[in-house]
Amino acid sequence: MVNMDTKEIVEETRYVALTHDTLDAKPIMDRVRSPKAGAIVLFAGTTRDNFAGKSVKELQYTSYEPRALQSMLAICNAVQEKHSLTAIAMIHRLGVVPVGEESILIAVSSPHRQAAWRAGEEALEECKEKVEVWKKEEFGGEEGGVWRANRDGAVGVRIDNDQNLNSPAPGPHGPVLRPGRLGERGHGAVVNPRNQNQNS
Amino acid sequence: MTTKPSTSDGSFTILYFASASSYTSKDAEVLAAPLPVAKLFDLLEEKYTGIKSKVLESCLLTVNLEYVDVPSDASSTGLVIKAGDEVAIIPPVSSG
Repeated sequence: MVNMDTKEIVEETRYVALTHDTLDAKPIMDRVRSPKAGAIVLFAGTTRDNFAGKSVKELQYTSYEPRALQSMLAICNAVQEKHSLTAIAMIHRLGVVPVGEESILIAVSSPHRQAAWRAGEEALEECKEKVEVWKKEEFGGEEGGVWRANRDGAVGVRIDNDQNLNSPAPGPHGPVLRPGRLGERGHGAVVNPRNQNQNS
Repeated sequence: MTTKPSTSDGSFTILYFASASSYTSKDAEVLAAPLPVAKLFDLLEEKYTGIKSKVLESCLLTVNLEYVDVPSDASSTGLVIKAGDEVAIIPPVSSG
């Protein structure tokens, strides 16, 4: 019953896990399924074959596993409380992930769909900002692998402070080096739900 | 981390991830304790020339899984890493 390739924390209405196995949407949806919920929103992040036009051969994820699980659980707690979710589940794949396969699944359930939509998006953005998982993109050829950074859009790039006068307030993981750009993260343009509320 | 160096008396384990692991060519190693957190980055710079500006300045630090402040002044008093502690260099994350 114990899968050595998966590390997880299971609470009554919260589930977080890191696994070297392929991800399967159905069991994660079932983790949050409830007669109290009228909606389940599932996000599946899949690995792209390019970064900024450069062809990516494969991706590899590594993690500080006990720290990452705690961060995932803290995000689940906060998002669940904020949006009164029935349940929330989050699983991230580690090791080599072939292009086109899922690297992360997030499922949330709530009595009504609006809260589930918002919570799902917010949980992903929080996860990409905070969870101690690192992605290495192998470009093949002489270039080798590059450790990606969600925050900077590129690794090893330092931004001078004077370019940064309008930078957002420091987050819990220290100062943000510069404001985010659309599209710099792995799953398309970043949409911060906290800035979208006036449009809804 | 599958192979973690064992810490006996007088040493702590430091874990390197992502760019920190690439720069040191290590996943982990054992360093002498006690060591003030304020002196850690200078010690690593001595061992791995250039690591401070190329890697560490954009990293965070955990001690026993909790994030701690890294004082910018090496002579400042602050947290002291003890024998048996697990310290980790946390580069900017890229989950998702």
